[in-house]
Amino acid sequence: MGATSVLKARPARPPSPTEHTVAKKRTGRAPTGPGRRRQRAGMLMVAPALLHASLWIGLPVVASVVLAFTKYDVLTAPQFVGLDNFRDMLDDAVFRKSIVNTVIYTFFTVPFGMMLGLLVALALHTGLKARGIFRTAVFIPQVTATVAIALVWLWIYNPGNGLLNTLLSFLGIQGPAWLSSTSWAMPSVILVGIWQGIGMKMLIYLAALQSLPKELYEAASVDGASKVRQFFSITLPLLKPATFFVLITSMISAFQSFDQIYILTDGGPANSTTMMTFEIYKSAFREFRIGYASAQSLVLFVLLMGFTLVNRRIMGGTRGHN
Amino acid sequence: MATTELHRPGVVEKARPRTKGKPLSVGRIALYLTLTVVSLLMVAPFVWMVLTSLKTPVEIASQDAGLLPEHWEFGNYVDALKAAPFATYARNSFIIAFSHTLINVVVASMAGYALARIKFRGSEVIFYLFIAALMIPTYTKVLPEFLIVRFMPLAGGNDIFGQGGSGWLDSWWALIIPGAVTPFAVFLFRQFYLDLPVELEEAARLDGLGEFRIYARIMTPQVKPALTTVALLTFESSWNNFLWPLLVTRTDSLRVIQVGLSVFKTENGPQWHFLMAGTTLATLPMVVLFLIGQRYFVQGFATAGLK
Repeated sequence: MGATSVLKARPARPPSPTEHTVAKKRTGRAPTGPGRRRQRAGMLMVAPALLHASLWIGLPVVASVVLAFTKYDVLTAPQFVGLDNFRDMLDDAVFRKSIVNTVIYTFFTVPFGMMLGLLVALALHTGLKARGIFRTAVFIPQVTATVAIALVWLWIYNPGNGLLNTLLSFLGIQGPAWLSSTSWAMPSVILVGIWQGIGMKMLIYLAALQSLPKELYEAASVDGASKVRQFFSITLPLLKPATFFVLITSMISAFQSFDQIYILTDGGPANSTTMMTFEIYKSAFREFRIGYASAQSLVLFVLLMGFTLVNRRIMGGTRGHN
Repeated sequence: MATTELHRPGVVEKARPRTKGKPLSVGRIALYLTLTVVSLLMVAPFVWMVLTSLKTPVEIASQDAGLLPEHWEFGNYVDALKAAPFATYARNSFIIAFSHTLINVVVASMAGYALARIKFRGSEVIFYLFIAALMIPTYTKVLPEFLIVRFMPLAGGNDIFGQGGSGWLDSWWALIIPGAVTPFAVFLFRQFYLDLPVELEEAARLDGLGEFRIYARIMTPQVKPALTTVALLTFESSWNNFLWPLLVTRTDSLRVIQVGLSVFKTENGPQWHFLMAGTTLATLPMVVLFLIGQRYFVQGFATAGLK
């Protein structure tokens, strides 16, 4: 990459004054004839998508920043309150708890999910027969609605006759009330998160593994490097862009988990599983504090951006997957 | 990386096993066993879901019942449809997912085409705006989106200033319009159109075809994999969406399947046999869709990395 950029760099030469004016004249005049018609067609074709994005993404982003500095209950006009919402947030023990929970949830689901995803990908990469079946099985939770999955797990975790405690009772163990215990609720939610997310991580790793150059491994084998050594010296370093991509995208999804919390625990017991997204939802749609909720969503956004930038730094300037 | 692979749908399948025909070693058997256990763990919840949906409430409540149903109660499905309008919910979900798919494929492919093949003033800026839009998290935009829907002028009894009524709340508009076009689809289409040969376009232009016809008749048929990928992913995420329909609908007749399931759980308590029958109905179409269009899903997800 460094080489190409050097090749591409041209010696800087200040444009001569005549060149400058000619160029200016040319761009100043609208193109005529077929070129112009082409341009107009291009604008027309991009217009619907652009309008849609302006109204449903651009405007909301701006509005969200503005609303964060207001007090607003939908019924009366918003009132500018400066930094009050952010000050309130500092005193909001539940919101603080939700930040901690979100971070805990992310820091357990993402690395463990990535490790398992990579292991499954490595296993599938060995060229087994019937690998398609295994891949499909691992990936199916990913295409299933989180609500549906959460409902199934709600029933699995059922303390009386749920699958988990039934299986444990075969071993003579009396399982806890998973989702209504302050110590077990979060691990239970995390387990569902890991389980659902393995498929995606496996898939990206598998695609990355298949694009690795075979020659390197052949050369390493000739040099007598063991499989383990090959994994740590060749595979893992070459998987860095994929790892960065998986890390970022998984963190963004984990930070925005909502459906499973809504169905499994409703944030409880005693706020032990509430997440930032769930607090935003509660502030806005149960307490009608739109301004406060907007401020909370701004904090979520800043945290996500911050994590992304820190990751990029740690991963050594890898530009990611795309 | 994913960008370059986009043009080879099914790349994951393609790489041939390196050790084909090798006799089964101990390590290989262990690998099969491990993968079988992992796969079973992934599938078990779904099996449990289906098994529960076929049991009687008595059996579900009983402490010493086995894992398999004693009598396979297929009637549960008929009764579940009577207990809650799951059929209406599913129909609503289908209408929304279908509309989203149709709108997204048409609007996003048009935009992606223009951004890839036509240089016009501001086209580059617009492309970067779409990339930026791609990175905006749901929770940054969902509250104002709700407010826009609520204060939509001249809708649902609202005056021109959006006051007085309920706007688009509790309407098909709110369910369909805001999520209809995704920046991801625009991005994906652009990547596909970029790689088509210039000759194709120029020949059509020499034949006197207009720009729109070149897009619709000449270029778009060349990017069928992109159309399929966007269609499948859009349908899937729309069918599975929960938060937005939860926020904008109140009436039962407009509920989508995911919200319907959640409401059924809250209102009727844990009637697990009905709930699991409903969940099976909500899950089955997506599993079938995935099995049919697996390679497109795989491509799309490898690019998006996001659900």
